[in-house]
Amino acid sequence: MVQQVIAGLQAGSTYAMLALAVVLILKATDVPNFATADMGLVPTFVLWQLMDSFGLSYWIALPAAIIFGMGLALVIERIAIRPILAESHFATVLMTIGIFVVLSAVIQLIWGSEPRRIEAPISGNFQIGGNFVTYDQLATIGLGALLTFALLRFFKSPWGIRMQAIAEDRVTPRLLGVRVDRVFSISWALAAAISTLAMTLHTQSTVLTDTAGAPLILKAFVAATMGGFGSILGAFLGGLALGVIANLAGFYIGTGSRAAVAMIFVVVILMAKPEGLFSKARPREV
Amino acid sequence: MAVDIDASTASKETGSGKKAGGLSRGSAGGPITAVRAAQLAGGLALLALAIVLPNLINPYRMFLATLIVVFATAGVGLVVIMGWTGQIALAHVAFMGIGAYGTNWLFSDLGIPWLVSLILSAFAAAVVGVLIGFPAARLRGFYLAIATLAFAELIVRFFVEVDTITGGIAGKPIEIIQLFGLAPDRSHWYIALMMAAVVFIATDRLGRTAFGRCLRMVRDAEIATGSLGISATQYKLLAFALSAFIAALAGGLFGQLLTYVSPDTFHTALLIQFLVVVFVGGITRLSGAIIGAIFVVVSRELFQDVGDWQRLVYGISLVLAVRFLPGGLTSLWSTLRSARSLRGVTQEAGA
Repeated sequence: MVQQVIAGLQAGSTYAMLALAVVLILKATDVPNFATADMGLVPTFVLWQLMDSFGLSYWIALPAAIIFGMGLALVIERIAIRPILAESHFATVLMTIGIFVVLSAVIQLIWGSEPRRIEAPISGNFQIGGNFVTYDQLATIGLGALLTFALLRFFKSPWGIRMQAIAEDRVTPRLLGVRVDRVFSISWALAAAISTLAMTLHTQSTVLTDTAGAPLILKAFVAATMGGFGSILGAFLGGLALGVIANLAGFYIGTGSRAAVAMIFVVVILMAKPEGLFSKARPREV
Repeated sequence: MAVDIDASTASKETGSGKKAGGLSRGSAGGPITAVRAAQLAGGLALLALAIVLPNLINPYRMFLATLIVVFATAGVGLVVIMGWTGQIALAHVAFMGIGAYGTNWLFSDLGIPWLVSLILSAFAAAVVGVLIGFPAARLRGFYLAIATLAFAELIVRFFVEVDTITGGIAGKPIEIIQLFGLAPDRSHWYIALMMAAVVFIATDRLGRTAFGRCLRMVRDAEIATGSLGISATQYKLLAFALSAFIAALAGGLFGQLLTYVSPDTFHTALLIQFLVVVFVGGITRLSGAIIGAIFVVVSRELFQDVGDWQRLVYGISLVLAVRFLPGGLTSLWSTLRSARSLRGVTQEAGA
């Protein structure tokens, strides 16, 4: 039981980090980014390549991968997202789905589909009260909490406040001298860094494959939905709750129920409490 | 009236024939009877071509032609829900799955005639469509995208779980039908043509009625619907039901073409192909579904041997369509056509 909860918290922390990346971009640019997971998966493959071909240490390859991921996000934001920002969610949803397809195809073309292992320096486990906890699990959960705390602080900082102001209204902040485009770039780069960390931790504790991103996208959105879109703390807690509940359901009901539970959750929440969600995000025409 | 229906039947058949034969139809319709007669003649010629096509090309090409017709038919469902009603509905291929599994189960295991099985499955899908429509009536934008994706995921999980019907994760062979004792590829082709004709004509007619205009109103001015006594919720639910019904019809035949289906068949990869069908083709027009279906099946064929270039092509074309051509390829065509006719007008004025 405790073992299952810990494993659930680890999975949940991955969902939570990706949900944070989703919420960050949504708060700043009002774009629901369905490419979140794969924008982190590409740099994760870069990390693997740096370690495998150039023999770099994990601690050098990881920052390099994060920087690569941020650069990639900046390019994507500039060429694909910014030109259609004025359009509805319809356009941005399809655009980010398109980007997801392109990224996952590129991963497959470059690295193929054989599973790989990231040799992380943090391995092994320790015992608390008869339950094994791996350092991977500890790192994932800890990093999720740390990022949440950092983002909460960030949104109280001048840059964070600018970001939220721009999501509400793109014209007035510009008149007040806010560099709107720079704020967009920063939000995408930060989100990509978070996605990269999430995908690296996720794939080093499981396995690195080209399809690792796809199943996580919907989970990230489910987590963000559970927390109420736009809430950093909500996204984090939503992710943890989703991970624990799905894991317990998988353990007690059957592995098949694992994915279903998450989906039932989001459907029920969206059906029962859409007003709650709309009070956080402003309604708009599609 | 009868002539009118014949003409539009022929023009729909032309659509299918055009895909297969690579022919193009004559000019757009006008009030002049000569043009109309020419159109009718051209249409009948293409209908004849469609009928003899199995004698002209090999069975594999025949399979591709049929696939185009099936994709275009399923695409009509997406045009109704996304293009006309403006709802981001991403559960379409799951409905196709209901059609494929349902039809095969009723036909093969319960011995119900194939056509009846197909229609029963389509009604079942429509009911599920209404269920999915309920959150849709309250959700907008990407919330709906998430809800419908989650629903689609649930339906696929359901396919995995009910393994007595679906064969579970391993999949299930589809019992092949034969129309009047014809060879399977011919049977599939003729059934696909008839189904496409019915779906295209019925949807086209429906789009011109008050119902169709109400759907567009829900898309363009939902706030105004209430004050005009139009229930946006009701129309959204009907659109979901109709879209699911069409998807399941196409799905039943899609299963026949594949001869073997598994829950994975109706997952993300197929959904992406359908997004390409409607967004590259043009989301608000029925002809967009035809153009998009040709595009997807042809690129599927061209990039078959080079593995995942196929997916890259789909992704890039989706991105490019959203970025540069929101109206799809059909809008490009009509823009060019209006530019040309405008030039004609100025030339006439000059002369």
